[in-house]
Amino acid sequence: MRSTLKNPYVYMLFVLPTIVLYFLFFIYPMLTSVFYGFTNWNGLDTKDFIGFDNFVAAFKDADFRNSILNNLYILLFSCCIQVPLIIVFSLLISSVKRFQGFYKTTVFMPSILSTSVIGILWGYIYDSDVGLLNNILKIFGIDPIYWLADTKWALFSILVTNAWQWMGFYIVLILAAILAIPKDIDEAAMIDGATGVQRAWYLTVPLIKPIINVVIMLSIAGALRVVDIVLVMTGGGPAGATDVMASYMVNKAIKYGDYGYGTALSIIIFIFALILTALYQILIVRRQERVEY
Amino acid sequence: MTKKLVSVLALSVAMSAFLAACGSDSEKGGNSASPSSSASPSASPSASPSESPSASASESASPEKVENFTVSLRHIQIGEAQKFRKAILDDVVKKTEAEVPGLKFELDGVEDSVNRFTKLPAEMAAGNPPKIFDLFGGAGDAQKYAKAGRLLDLTPIIDELGLKDKFLNVLDTFSVDGKVYGLPIGGNTEGIFYNTDLFAKYGLNPPTTWDDLVKAADTLKQNNITPFAVGSKGAWVPNMLVNTLIGRIAGEGTNAGFITGASKWTSPDVVAAYQIVADWEKKGYFTKGELGKEYADMLNDFVAGKAGMMFDGSWRSSAFKDEAVGAAIAGKVAFVALPAVPNGKGDQTSVNANYANGYGFSSDLNDNELKAVKAFIKNLYSDEMQLRGLLEDGVLPSMKLSDESVGQVSDPLVKQVLDVLGKAGTTFPHFDSVVQSKVYTETETQLQKLIAGKAKPEDVAKAIQKVQDAENAAAAK
Repeated sequence: MRSTLKNPYVYMLFVLPTIVLYFLFFIYPMLTSVFYGFTNWNGLDTKDFIGFDNFVAAFKDADFRNSILNNLYILLFSCCIQVPLIIVFSLLISSVKRFQGFYKTTVFMPSILSTSVIGILWGYIYDSDVGLLNNILKIFGIDPIYWLADTKWALFSILVTNAWQWMGFYIVLILAAILAIPKDIDEAAMIDGATGVQRAWYLTVPLIKPIINVVIMLSIAGALRVVDIVLVMTGGGPAGATDVMASYMVNKAIKYGDYGYGTALSIIIFIFALILTALYQILIVRRQERVEY
Repeated sequence: MTKKLVSVLALSVAMSAFLAACGSDSEKGGNSASPSSSASPSASPSASPSESPSASASESASPEKVENFTVSLRHIQIGEAQKFRKAILDDVVKKTEAEVPGLKFELDGVEDSVNRFTKLPAEMAAGNPPKIFDLFGGAGDAQKYAKAGRLLDLTPIIDELGLKDKFLNVLDTFSVDGKVYGLPIGGNTEGIFYNTDLFAKYGLNPPTTWDDLVKAADTLKQNNITPFAVGSKGAWVPNMLVNTLIGRIAGEGTNAGFITGASKWTSPDVVAAYQIVADWEKKGYFTKGELGKEYADMLNDFVAGKAGMMFDGSWRSSAFKDEAVGAAIAGKVAFVALPAVPNGKGDQTSVNANYANGYGFSSDLNDNELKAVKAFIKNLYSDEMQLRGLLEDGVLPSMKLSDESVGQVSDPLVKQVLDVLGKAGTTFPHFDSVVQSKVYTETETQLQKLIAGKAKPEDVAKAIQKVQDAENAAAAK
């Protein structure tokens, strides 16, 4: 028995099932999808190799370009508006003395709800006839706004919902980092006469920079990946106003049966996400030094 | 060495046993799941108690120890507005289960457009559609699947059942090379439903001429009532009006000519049809925020009296019965065809008539399932069920019914629908059952852009024609 366990092949044997499953459900579909990306497969019969036609078509496709832009809007919104808000809220909650657990739980709550629930919930809030928002507007004599049906408002409405869903999660992350900072640093600054704002800005924020970086990176990845909330709330409509890359891909491939083109889009999305995350890693994260307390 | 080998062997045997156990487990899981989901048909006896005698027939047959099997059946009769159709289907299911020993149908209700545009195509791609399923005719649906070998050739079955000559001339959109792959359950025409109470209140004439229609819309608008209820979240809804406008302005042969190249989306007449929609959007004739409204919202707005008219299919007539969702305005609704358009080409009495929705069957059937399918066809496509569809649900028969049967129609709305069709010089199909699915998709995308004010009628036509050209070229290869 002992000699058996010294044999590396035995260990191989243990790992084999997992590797087989991994290959079957991850590597194989990925390789085939790369292949399908170069075909005009419609899901049924025709499956001709058409080279880079799908990729050329994708970049000529105004609707797809529009969906890339929407992804970039989401990215900008989450990095430039959401992340600062997250930091502010975390700082506020961290300095609350009483009921801190209550606040933590409250902000975290939306993250544990499923996206479908949130989509439908906010669908009612945004409803043009009976929705909460329009009822409030009515009190002030403002005409109803068609939040999800108006091309001007739809993307913004989704952004707000998406932010509501995920901010709590990031707040809890950053809060943990803030609470892990040793108290004496803060107390020393206080004795030196630093105000609360000064301590937050010059002490706490620099000390939690590594975790802020993680949050930004997760936000970037999340913004490029976002699709479920769009599909639940608008399905990419009205008239493509809220289409993101992934929802456009899902609609093209699954709804309209253009599997070849859809797979090509998915490859483009993959490359996009890879480049952006890598850029962020190389340009920003690598330059940071580790924080030592 | 041998010790090692033995232990390695033992390990691999153990592991394969483990994996095998996993496999059979999941198979068992699959089987055990089916009885529970097949409980759904049995939950529906409330729909019609009249069939209970035949149900006992199956019980008497059971002592012979027949092999039990299930057949999956995908239908789209979900929701309150579809309850009459569901009742007919339930009776057919019950009757068929009684006739075929051991058979149990597994009913699976899916919303129409989800089934047609999302679920069924995905299942067709994966090669595992339900055995019986709701199917639309045309190049984008039945014919596409038939060419891919996914649909059961029904020609021998309808010959055997003697149904071949019973159908009206409606099987073309379900046929490929003379073989029939699907059977339409009934027909409909798309036209204007209007609220007679509101029209009387504002002293309006029925919208039977173009001037009256426009006047009615303007008057309603001035009185803060939406002229046309519409729910354009699914673009097939506003596409109904576009389709009839094209038939009226560009002539009744236009829709059928798109795939042959005989007619073009970019022709001035087709663009003019889109222009009317764009103009009406600008004038505010349609529900505000329509791009966020579902098809069901359109009926709700109309029933609530928020809108004076709606352009919808004649199948909606059953919603205005006393016990249906539109009961609030039962007896206060009338149906007319879209009036003649000034300077329109072709026969201005022609109306749109669709026999595109019906059932298709998987080509992958065993003997038992084939038996079930045959019995299902026999029971569903019968004079009795066709007449029930017409009387209870206002669905126009797809099979020849005697004048005396049709004379039994008492519902005033259904009478008006029959009247509209009777007066029609010719009929034309909806382009959704003619053009290729990519083209149809493009019409939906572009129409929503037009509604959102993001595209002009000419741009819309150009974009659709581009896809049409590509698809026609691909089909010619």
